[in-house]
Amino acid sequence: MQDAITKEITINASKEEVYDAIANPEKVIKWFPDAIEGTYAVGEQPLFVFEGHGKAQMYIVDAKPYEYFAYRWIPGGSDFVGDVRTVPNTLVEFRINEEGDGMCKVVLTESGFASLPKDIAENAFKMNSGGWDYFILDSFKKYFNK
Amino acid sequence: MIESQIFKALGDPLRLKIVVRLSDGSTRTLGDITKGLGITRQGARKQVAVLADAKIVRLKPQGREVKVTLDMDSLRMGKDLITQLENQWDKRLRRLKNLVEKSRD
Repeated sequence: MQDAITKEITINASKEEVYDAIANPEKVIKWFPDAIEGTYAVGEQPLFVFEGHGKAQMYIVDAKPYEYFAYRWIPGGSDFVGDVRTVPNTLVEFRINEEGDGMCKVVLTESGFASLPKDIAENAFKMNSGGWDYFILDSFKKYFNK
Repeated sequence: MIESQIFKALGDPLRLKIVVRLSDGSTRTLGDITKGLGITRQGARKQVAVLADAKIVRLKPQGREVKVTLDMDSLRMGKDLITQLENQWDKRLRRLKNLVEKSRD
């Protein structure tokens, strides 16, 4: 399995605004988890709440205004509660680069998949919107029942 | 498991119908799942063999009959975890962009 995911997006805003949307708990719940339990700050271990999909235990690794924010978690919502550093986890990093003309580029990296045990990888997969079996078989049924 | 092999095996209306008939997780005889599809017994064997080669179904000979079951583990592996997580990040980053750009207006 490949070890990392990298994704980029260009946003028409300053790096201060983009950083705030990622690092400010009031803002991050508007685009990522539905709610946060605990303290969303470096060294803390809050829970991301995904309604209908359980909770994800986090460990906030680093926050450097206005260019870097990182945390560790178990991908896919394992419902593990405790210190994520004691179990196989992935590192999620947001890097914000100013691009000029009031634009910013956000580079997202999630790494550590290669070291995840198979059962976590499969669990993460199943937690993803019901998984493949739901996705494909449900689509088939809809198609044939038309 | 090679994803393209799964998609190729499923890319046929007859084989799709067979998979749908097995989608409740039941184990059924070859004759039962190919009934009313307008194919000969030999044709049915051929179609099910393609599904078995792609590891979409498991075959178990039982006397003169063959029992067929959907191989859910194999189907699950057909869609890569990484692809799923990448799609999730795409969606999240788009929401982040929308939020930040909207709050500027």
